[in-house]
Amino acid sequence: MKNIGEKIFKFIMKFLTLFSMLLLAFIVIFIFKESIVFFKEVPILKFISGKTWNPLGSPDDLSILPIILGTAYVSFVGIIIALPIGVGSAVVLSSYTGDKMKRFIRGIVDVLAGIPSVVYGFIGLLVLVKFFEVKFSFSSGESVLAGGIILSIMMLPYIISTCDESMEKVYKEYAQYSNALGVSKSYMIRKIVIPESRRSILASIVLALGRGMGETMAVMMVIGNAPIMPKLLKKCQTIPSLIALEMGMAEVGSLHYHSLFAAGFILMLILFIINIFLYFIKKRMDI
Amino acid sequence: MSEKIKDSLFKIWIILSTLLMFTVVIYIFGYIFKNGIASINMEFIFGDPKGIPIGSEGGIFPAIIGSLFLMIIACIFASILAISTAVYTVFYCRFKKIESIIHLIVQCMAGTPSIILGLFGYTLLVLYLGLGRSLLSAGLTLGIMIFPYIEVRVEKTLREIDKSIVESSYVLGISKAYTIFKLILPICKKDIISAITLAGGFAMGAAAPIILTGAVIFAPIPKSLSSPVMALPFHLYILTGEGISLEKAYGTALVLIMILLIINIISVVLNMRGREHS
Repeated sequence: MKNIGEKIFKFIMKFLTLFSMLLLAFIVIFIFKESIVFFKEVPILKFISGKTWNPLGSPDDLSILPIILGTAYVSFVGIIIALPIGVGSAVVLSSYTGDKMKRFIRGIVDVLAGIPSVVYGFIGLLVLVKFFEVKFSFSSGESVLAGGIILSIMMLPYIISTCDESMEKVYKEYAQYSNALGVSKSYMIRKIVIPESRRSILASIVLALGRGMGETMAVMMVIGNAPIMPKLLKKCQTIPSLIALEMGMAEVGSLHYHSLFAAGFILMLILFIINIFLYFIKKRMDI
Repeated sequence: MSEKIKDSLFKIWIILSTLLMFTVVIYIFGYIFKNGIASINMEFIFGDPKGIPIGSEGGIFPAIIGSLFLMIIACIFASILAISTAVYTVFYCRFKKIESIIHLIVQCMAGTPSIILGLFGYTLLVLYLGLGRSLLSAGLTLGIMIFPYIEVRVEKTLREIDKSIVESSYVLGISKAYTIFKLILPICKKDIISAITLAGGFAMGAAAPIILTGAVIFAPIPKSLSSPVMALPFHLYILTGEGISLEKAYGTALVLIMILLIINIISVVLNMRGREHS
């Protein structure tokens, strides 16, 4: 009797695990299935290399090169701003603080990570975009730069928590020796802790890049959503915001509808590559 | 450049970046609190949205309840899958290879953007399965989104358990299932609940997956799983995006982050107690 119970339990666990794993396959299959209709009309290379996006025009006018570039551009701006701040904070957090302070700062970082993206977008729109318009008298404050700044704030927690973990490990490992040798703390951090943590810094960059490219709400609210070639101070469009904005308008089954799935498929491919890359960096980090 | 200058530059850099992070956090909360507190009153929290366009007057009660419902559905769905997956990987999976494949898949799911999950929910749940734009579709989509977060944390807790306790239980001839239910899960209960609450807060704040799957501009408090819902993040987006009412938007943002802060605090408190216990 007991044995049967055991077997059933094991079976249920196995089944539910399999189901969870299959969810990813379902996601890929369904997105692919909807986008294959589109790729039959427009070849995939043309889709990702063309420069116009006009859902009301002919099928030839559906291509997303500016949008892919916009997605990447906003994320890169975000990382460039967030990386120095994040690594700097991680150094302080890992090496300069006591236990209590550490817990407090980690709490703050968690709070930052817990703020919903829509709130970031809201603040970005009301504070940042307005600031650009008033102080620098831009015709429109909605820009790649605004998106990048908002993204950088959202990326901070990921960068800090990824770097902090390995920096703390390295610091603890070498602190005693360097103290015994009379080396100053900051010198030791500069020469040992940061170089030794380069792999986790890389991991944090990749993680933040993935997060940034997939971010919808916050970015959508501050970049102006115009599908043109991105420039730092001009409006642009990203794939997630394109989908979120136009899906509601696209008629189910129309080419426009399928093209949005195709854009989603491209985004998903980019992110899978980033995540697999991240997985291997992390795996090598542990050894 | 002499070492001394380099050293001071380094110190300035790390101090400035930490200060900047603190300033940003304080600024965000201060800004929303300062602007939002004026519009918070009983009518705002417990009233229905009114006015033309809708939302320009009245309250946000259906959105608060809608968000809570969404969170509960997402948490139930995700935690069943996540705990099973974690239990399977830690206690049943015998092959290292399968284990690393599971980890890779979980990581890929965590990295899938929420809007893609929204698209998926829209085709599979809303269109193919005919659930329509509803509480259930949106809740399940959010569940898929938070599944990896719960799985990773639960698995970590399960691995932290003292191996000797588990081994002793096996040696006494107690079955694996019984050990898991009566020994392991009770030990990790608090950590697991903490992980679920944290993920629940994350689900509650997400707007992208529910735009396509169930959130609407106005709906009464949902009566069944198949009715459309209002949700706080979506409501905030509509209020600002359509320029309906800035004042109400500040209020909504304040209510949203306050609820999330409370959820966060609950999770932290549970986690700390769990740590002390073990």
